[in-house]
Amino acid sequence: MALTSTSVSKAEKSYIQAGILANPPSRSDGRSLHDFRAIALETGVAPLANGSARLNIGRNPHDGTGGTEVLAAVKLEVENVEEGTGGVDGGRIICNVSCDVKDSSPSAYPNLSSGALDDLQHDYTDVINQTLSHPSLHPSNLGILPRKKSWLLSLDIVILADAGNVYDALFMAARAALWDTKVPRTRSIEYKAKKSVTTAKNASGGAGDMDVDEDTSSGFDTRKIAGAIDFELPDYWDEGEVLEGRDRWPVCVSMNMVLPTHFLDASPQEEASTSIRVLLMFSFLSPNQTTLQGMRMSGPGEIKLSGLKELIEEGEKYAKEIYSALTSKLKDEDIRRNQKARDRFVNRI
Amino acid sequence: MISFTSFPQPQDAYKRPEIEEDEDMEVDEDFMENGTLKLAWPGESLTSSHAYMRGHGTYVDNEEVIASVAGIVERVNKLITVRPVRTRYNPEVGDLVIGRITEVQARRWKVEANSRQDAVLMLSSVNLPGGVQRRKLESDELQMRTFFEEGDLLVAEVQAFFGDGTMSLHTRSLSYGKLRNGQLVTVPPNLIRRLKSHFISLPCGVDLILGLNGYIWISKHVKESDREGEEGFDAEGVYSNKNDAIDDSTRTAISQVANIISVLASHAVPLNDTVLLEAYEWSVEQEGGPKALLQDDVGDALVVTVASRS
Amino acid sequence: MSSRIEILNAGGYRSDGRRQYELRTIAIDFSPQGSNPDGSATISHGLTQVSVSVYGPREAKMRSQTFHDRANINIELSIAPFSAGERRRRGKGDKRILELTQTLKSTFEPVIQTSLYPRAQIDIYVQVLQQDGGLLQACINATTLALVNAGIPMLDLVCAVTGGVHSTSALLDLTQLEENDLPNVTIAVMPRSGKIALVSMETRLHVDRFEEIFRLAGEAGTVIHSEMKRAVKEKTAKLVDAMQLGKGSAAPNAENDY
Repeated sequence: MALTSTSVSKAEKSYIQAGILANPPSRSDGRSLHDFRAIALETGVAPLANGSARLNIGRNPHDGTGGTEVLAAVKLEVENVEEGTGGVDGGRIICNVSCDVKDSSPSAYPNLSSGALDDLQHDYTDVINQTLSHPSLHPSNLGILPRKKSWLLSLDIVILADAGNVYDALFMAARAALWDTKVPRTRSIEYKAKKSVTTAKNASGGAGDMDVDEDTSSGFDTRKIAGAIDFELPDYWDEGEVLEGRDRWPVCVSMNMVLPTHFLDASPQEEASTSIRVLLMFSFLSPNQTTLQGMRMSGPGEIKLSGLKELIEEGEKYAKEIYSALTSKLKDEDIRRNQKARDRFVNRI
Repeated sequence: MISFTSFPQPQDAYKRPEIEEDEDMEVDEDFMENGTLKLAWPGESLTSSHAYMRGHGTYVDNEEVIASVAGIVERVNKLITVRPVRTRYNPEVGDLVIGRITEVQARRWKVEANSRQDAVLMLSSVNLPGGVQRRKLESDELQMRTFFEEGDLLVAEVQAFFGDGTMSLHTRSLSYGKLRNGQLVTVPPNLIRRLKSHFISLPCGVDLILGLNGYIWISKHVKESDREGEEGFDAEGVYSNKNDAIDDSTRTAISQVANIISVLASHAVPLNDTVLLEAYEWSVEQEGGPKALLQDDVGDALVVTVASRS
Repeated sequence: MSSRIEILNAGGYRSDGRRQYELRTIAIDFSPQGSNPDGSATISHGLTQVSVSVYGPREAKMRSQTFHDRANINIELSIAPFSAGERRRRGKGDKRILELTQTLKSTFEPVIQTSLYPRAQIDIYVQVLQQDGGLLQACINATTLALVNAGIPMLDLVCAVTGGVHSTSALLDLTQLEENDLPNVTIAVMPRSGKIALVSMETRLHVDRFEEIFRLAGEAGTVIHSEMKRAVKEKTAKLVDAMQLGKGSAAPNAENDY
């Protein structure tokens, strides 16, 4: 595998490969081929972001060591969309991945030079950016004033530790941070528009979907708080509305190939022992509508065309599992944080 | 299968500790229950430098011996040392270590062994094909990668130190050399103590090599006689990269042992043959195979069991 | 910005409800950050959070960076783009980052006993996760703790604190809001010897006020020291306790490495 800093001996490599091909297959830590390590997830970890999440795959529950850990956060900024300003009507999304804490586990492994590290960051950024800023996923509520102002959504992901399967982790964390993102409510000043029916259902992402729930004209204000919210909480609890279409954000499944079979959630040693990896990014628009949002192959090996179709079908199955497990965890997180906010509020009085 | 968990919430993130309890109580707290273990941390004054000599983990300033690391204070006659609770491996001559080749240089290999610098393995410190005692030839220098190449794991003994403190290794024994047929687990080096033998055979057909540097090799059991080969030294075998056939139950046992070691190490339990054997015997009685040990409750139960039997 | 918020109100309270000399809540966590570090620590001073992982002493990556008589200390710092109110991506060559890195290096170089590890390298990776004032202070304190956690010999714990002056009243441990408005100084002390490891000031401060701030910060440093010491002590005792398992309660003599 080109992009790995872990070094394994030939004997280790063939031991790992033989285990994966054995019947029944066996992996170094006793997992079966399609088992993921435990994934820890928490949303709302960056207080100054509009949405954020911390995710760890494979953390040792006993002492908190190890695991691939990433931190993802979304920041929204108002930008002009008039010509020559760089902004886009209806808002735009820019993603960035950095791996600043660059150490590969024990220093035995060839350290990445800073050039190689830049390449790695570019590669991660590229994949995430291409997939997530695709028009088919664009939330319709990133516009503020048509042809004038819109939100620039910046998704920054920091890789804190790499213990294998970084791509899956990046996409899960990205999905979690975007899920968690709240867009501040805005009101328009120039348009004395009638109360719009709803903006959240508007999927076009076009020019017509600015927020017009208020029709006062006291000046442009992004921090305006809407009146109608849960009576239990004071106004300032309201951080805005969620991104439209937050169910759509894709998940990624990395299929690590030891032909003729494949396995998921590879450790660094396992990654170093596979010659080819296929990344598949799926979005689940509705229960029966799955789209393949992206695909990548890396490594020196090759796959027969006929095998690819089957691989994608398998991949969809795994992705669906990841998707539903992640979604239910995200819902749990929403509940947990609401509860926490409520508790704090109660304790205040 | 995929499952999500939560990060543990930091325990005292929101409670501000009382500070008063500190200074006066300190003396009592420093001594553990049996009164023999005194703890220290950098900047902690230990004693006067007139009466005592400073050892590792201490320095002298203004006629006081002061700790420079966090750990246990030890006194041997007049010598005061502080043994850090966590540190890299500190080699001593005669230690058995496991390392990984990082670089092939002229007549020598560089070996990563969890120490302050990479170790050196000289071409003259390894057994070469064609007889243990034969002279090194120029052709050997040109084909060093056929013996060890980058990434290879090996077990060796610390032979000596160079002037700058770098350790040099040797593999001139039939039990040393390239590692095959298994997997590596790493633990903090201070969990591995000097034992009579660092080669352990578990009854489940698994061999263990406990490197004093915290690297542990877990592999399929190889009979003593097989290791030596027919003519006393089998070059093919010693420098081979090919694994033997390994059956499923052995693979499972290797994974099981690997997971046991990670669980024990994450609870800072020192490892030796009795502990590992007990842990293994307990764990095979549990359901779920090696994977089950990754769950925290099973892992915790394992640690409790080991603790209660020691 | 300064006009809207009262730094110190008539009742003597600051914008976040603290008194003049009150420090923010400190939380210290030694759980490993990064990929198998030799030591690490995360510290929060209120909403400012910094996490540091230490690797080494180990083989130097580049031979040109080694010294024959001591270890090379390599510090790399990165600031998460979402750590502050305004998103900002700072690259490797960013001036602020270079400055912080250099300050950390000159603070720790004389404190770490580098001469024990000739030719080796100690890598210190600092990750700024949240910023709400006192960035340098948090970086220094987290680095100290991570180094201790890695078992790297140091002369003392280096403890840092920020102080500022509002008209004539001194304030300690400033938030971002206060830092933006007030002349301020970061001071790092080594409590055992009473030595000052660092004084860093980027604003102007009246010389009469400096002495007071300096004294107060020194005192605050010892408070932070006791919190750091408490955390180190707890962690050390826990590990020592665990290591007594499986070997009776005999004194741990003649063991592996000292």
